[in-house]
Amino acid sequence: MYLEVKGLKKCFGEKKIVDDLSFSLDKGQLMCILGSSGCGKTTTLNMIGGFLKKDSGSIVLDGEEISEKEPEERPVTTVFQSYALFPHMTVLENVTYGLKFKGIKKEKAKELGYKYLEMTGMTEYADVRIQRLSGGQQQRVALARALVIEPKLCLLDEPFSNLDAALREKLRFELKRLQRDLKMTMIFVTHDQEEAMILSDKMAIMEQGVFVQCDTPKAIYDAPASDFVRDFLKLDRIIFKEDGSILKRISE
Amino acid sequence: MKKRFFAGLLAAMMALSAAGCSGSTEETTAAATETEESTAVQSEAESSEAENPEASSNDEAEVPELSGTMKVVATSEDYVTLFDKFTEETGVDVELLSMSSGEVLSKLRAEGGTPSADLWFGGGIDAFMSAKDDGLLEQVTFDAAEDLAPEYKDADGYWYSKGITIVGFLVNEALTGELGIETPASWTDLLDESYQGEIVMSNPAVSGTNYAVVNALLQTMGEEEGWNYFEQLNNNIAYYGKRGSDPLNKVTSDEFAIGISYIDRGVEATIEGSDIAIVYPEDGIPWVPEGVAVFKNAENVEAAKYFVEWLFSSDDNLRMLAEIDKKDGIKLIKPSIEGIELGYDTAILMKEDLSLFGSGREAVLEKFETLMGDKAEE
Amino acid sequence: MSHGFHVKNETARKVSSDTFFRVFSVSVEKLLKLTVLALILLFILYPMICIFMRSLYVEDGIGFSNYAEVFFKYKENFLNSITVGISTALLCTFLSVCTALFVYTRTGKFKTALMAVILISMVAPPFVSSLAYIQLYGRRGWITYRLLGLSLNPYNAVGVVLMQSISFVPMNALFLLGILSKIDTSGIKAAQDLGARPGNILKDVVLPMMRPGIYVTLLLSFVRSLADFGTPVIIGGRFSTIASEIYLKIVGYSDLEAASTMNMFILVPSVAFFFLYRRLMNATGIMTDSQRTSTEPFSLKLGKCGLFGFTVVSAAALFFIVMALQYICIFASGFMKRKGGGYIFTTEYLHELLKYDLSTMTRSVIYALIVAVLGTFIAILFAYFTEWRRLKGRSFFDCLVTIPYMIPGTCFGIGYILAFNHKPFALTGTGIIVIANMIFKQLPTSTKLCAAAVSQIPRAQEAAVRDLGGSSLSVLKDVILPGLRPAFFGSFSYNFSTAMTTAGAVIFLINPGKKLAVFKLFDAVYSGEYAVASLISMLIIVIVLAVEGIVYLLSWKEKENVS
Repeated sequence: MYLEVKGLKKCFGEKKIVDDLSFSLDKGQLMCILGSSGCGKTTTLNMIGGFLKKDSGSIVLDGEEISEKEPEERPVTTVFQSYALFPHMTVLENVTYGLKFKGIKKEKAKELGYKYLEMTGMTEYADVRIQRLSGGQQQRVALARALVIEPKLCLLDEPFSNLDAALREKLRFELKRLQRDLKMTMIFVTHDQEEAMILSDKMAIMEQGVFVQCDTPKAIYDAPASDFVRDFLKLDRIIFKEDGSILKRISE
Repeated sequence: MKKRFFAGLLAAMMALSAAGCSGSTEETTAAATETEESTAVQSEAESSEAENPEASSNDEAEVPELSGTMKVVATSEDYVTLFDKFTEETGVDVELLSMSSGEVLSKLRAEGGTPSADLWFGGGIDAFMSAKDDGLLEQVTFDAAEDLAPEYKDADGYWYSKGITIVGFLVNEALTGELGIETPASWTDLLDESYQGEIVMSNPAVSGTNYAVVNALLQTMGEEEGWNYFEQLNNNIAYYGKRGSDPLNKVTSDEFAIGISYIDRGVEATIEGSDIAIVYPEDGIPWVPEGVAVFKNAENVEAAKYFVEWLFSSDDNLRMLAEIDKKDGIKLIKPSIEGIELGYDTAILMKEDLSLFGSGREAVLEKFETLMGDKAEE
Repeated sequence: MSHGFHVKNETARKVSSDTFFRVFSVSVEKLLKLTVLALILLFILYPMICIFMRSLYVEDGIGFSNYAEVFFKYKENFLNSITVGISTALLCTFLSVCTALFVYTRTGKFKTALMAVILISMVAPPFVSSLAYIQLYGRRGWITYRLLGLSLNPYNAVGVVLMQSISFVPMNALFLLGILSKIDTSGIKAAQDLGARPGNILKDVVLPMMRPGIYVTLLLSFVRSLADFGTPVIIGGRFSTIASEIYLKIVGYSDLEAASTMNMFILVPSVAFFFLYRRLMNATGIMTDSQRTSTEPFSLKLGKCGLFGFTVVSAAALFFIVMALQYICIFASGFMKRKGGGYIFTTEYLHELLKYDLSTMTRSVIYALIVAVLGTFIAILFAYFTEWRRLKGRSFFDCLVTIPYMIPGTCFGIGYILAFNHKPFALTGTGIIVIANMIFKQLPTSTKLCAAAVSQIPRAQEAAVRDLGGSSLSVLKDVILPGLRPAFFGSFSYNFSTAMTTAGAVIFLINPGKKLAVFKLFDAVYSGEYAVASLISMLIIVIVLAVEGIVYLLSWKEKENVS
């Protein structure tokens, strides 16, 4: 397995936020962690990204134990919910920022930056300042910035939550295409069932610090592990195609 | 209008005696030059000592090997020409900074024996006396010191006087006219009820000259009567300034009618063309010698010591100083000096025993503080 | 084969250089932290310890008897200080709030002009300002006596309170304007939407949002009043506070022991208030740092705010008129000469100024530039380590850094002589000690400015840098420093103008031959040459404004270049 998480635990005081979590992921796969707020999904992401110290457990990525490393030493990048773009830099400067720590020369970095801006459809904004961008555009920049350094794993923390529904849907497909093209391994945290169903190669439903069920969307659909999963996903309202993708969603 | 203005006296006291500058004879040391032919002395005076090493053979104050920079704290920067002359003759650079004597003393004490300056030039003698008691000054002895009047120098050579500062009243006559009060002519006049709240003097703790006022009046009137006087005066005093220049500033800005202030060239220049008159009290003028001393453990002690010797050994230098100060009090300090005549009878200066200046300071100030404090609580 | 080997080698080298970079930046950051903390210990704590030790000197050795003595002797002055402090805090805060509200609710060019007045009045040259006050409002003041026919005696406690209050307003008003510019105006819009009249908006929305800022202003004014010796010395008359007694103890009696002891007494209420200040500042953070949606300026017709609006407008107008008169008076003094009972215009003094030795001015500018750059840099680092990195013992260091604000400048200067006149830190007589004294005397304010700005930076940006492979040093360089650009300008201006005009703390540290312009000014005032003093202070004001203007333009231009 490319990513192997075993026995991950985190408590805040008495409260167990992530409780003995284990899962694995193949290279090039996108996994969604789906759950309501407070279920521990962001905490899990922060431990993988290195922003939180785990209490116990191990995270092995591409054969390497990373859980003791500083965030900057992990071959993992994050697309933050707030994007966390640098307001004093241009779009291109933001995107190429991480490359300077890889010892990549300026010219080469610029080239790479443009390549990823093109992939995200942001080429024409290369020299624009961040404040002038709309939310969706900032989102694309944040994505380009996280992907350009070619991480082994890319984490996305509810990246579309600040966008309107139409834009969300559009970006969702763009992300999926990009992920497939780059064969990027990704973990995507969301509380949006539809988003998870569409994006996931593998989907985990999280509740109170543990995965209630973790499998392909189709498998979960076919055999929900519990009534909770069935209700949470509102499975009654979704019709799948043969290949596992969603055919139709019955509105309420 | 200025009928009580002692114009003649003032002119005499303050004006430089111009005659003193021309054709003077060098009297580096009186004893040595007495036997010299006057022509030889004349030529010597024309060339500086430093440039003419042989000439200094008859001068006991040989120029020692001096170098570096002499740092001076002075009451004013007007002395720069005098120090320039010193630099010219000795090659020692001089850096000047003006500071009040109280600040100098505090700085000295804080520095705890490693002073950042070499020479202390000017300021009320009481501070010099305190510094001597604290062991902060360097002893300086030289032959010409014998010619200096003993009243104006420390018996052990820890400090000398470079002149005296006198005290008078500054009277804003536009204001007295407006208020319908007479211009006071004497210390006794100041007690008149009509002056209530119109007199400003500096706290004797911060002003050497106003300390001299207190000390001199106490000495002249006697302890009991003196304190009695200040208690009464206190009723008329608006307040005691915490800076030495307060009386001058308050009178010139029309705030108060009368200021008890030091009087010097600067004061004169300031009030020129205004309605402010200088009054020298009939019943005696308090005065305070202005000290010169070398700081103990100073970096360039040698240069500073030599400066003191250089200054007092040469009448030329003293005359130059007198010119800068526009004062002829140096005649009192060095009676043998020629070309400067005292423009006034020493009788108008109050009798002051300087030895009581330093020793009594703390007790006098403390008593004064209670006196001022009582008023404040009213 | 050889190709493969080459690649492997390259990777190995890259990894090792990566590690090297990380180790390097971690140690650089550690080094920076240790340097900043060491400097603070050396230049604030150590002199304070020296002052404390001095307060223990008694005739027969070491002891606390000075404390009892000073306490009983100066009880009344302590009381005076507290009374003046509270009165000044109340009056000054009232004026500051009104001024800030007035400026905040203006728009366009008028607002810019008002801001300019406030900025200019931050550059209050010492001595000359107080002379101007006396000239205007003294017993024979142009305004009080000649215009209004009043003969008021300002040389008392009331005079001290009034003069302190007026002179503290510019700094406080700027602080409050900073708070106002951060409040969420959507609340105001909501209130308007719900039909609130302008008066209600002011009372129900704006003022409550300013509340923590108002408390902070009260505290800062109180502490500053306690430590201010200049005002009571100049205008106190027979009234004296503990700070002016400290000044007298130093200048009149050279009694360092008593001065040190009194100084320690001042620290007691001030440190207590500091901890209160911290709690309130945190509250300000909560008010302004929360998810804000709209901070665009809004306009409010104060004229329609009833009595409350009228009060605000009158108090603000009073402040601006007083400021304008003060600077007109300083300006006029430079060109007017007394003749008979009146004044005539003259350029005589200007000619005198032109002959004036400008070397002290040059030295002042150089020192002030060094102070402004280094002081701001230290303040930024300090704010970063305490606010962002939440360094261990930060409340101790924060309190320590605030101490120079709490004690009279003269004492801080004496502390420096006590501390740095002998080995191992023999610095007296050098320019370094003067510069260090200015930097650390002004550090309390510059760190507060920077800390406020640091707390505005979103924390996620740090995560982003680290995530992309940057070290914490990269965070400092790429997130904190750019985020502090406005604070940089504020801190730079404050440091520069204060360094150009400060006198109290450095008077004991200046050495012959290393004079600063402000002492030329002092000499001129002392010898009664007001006109020259006025012109020198105008020159100082012009220089300060010019330098600030250049820095502002540079920082603004740089910002534009980025886009």
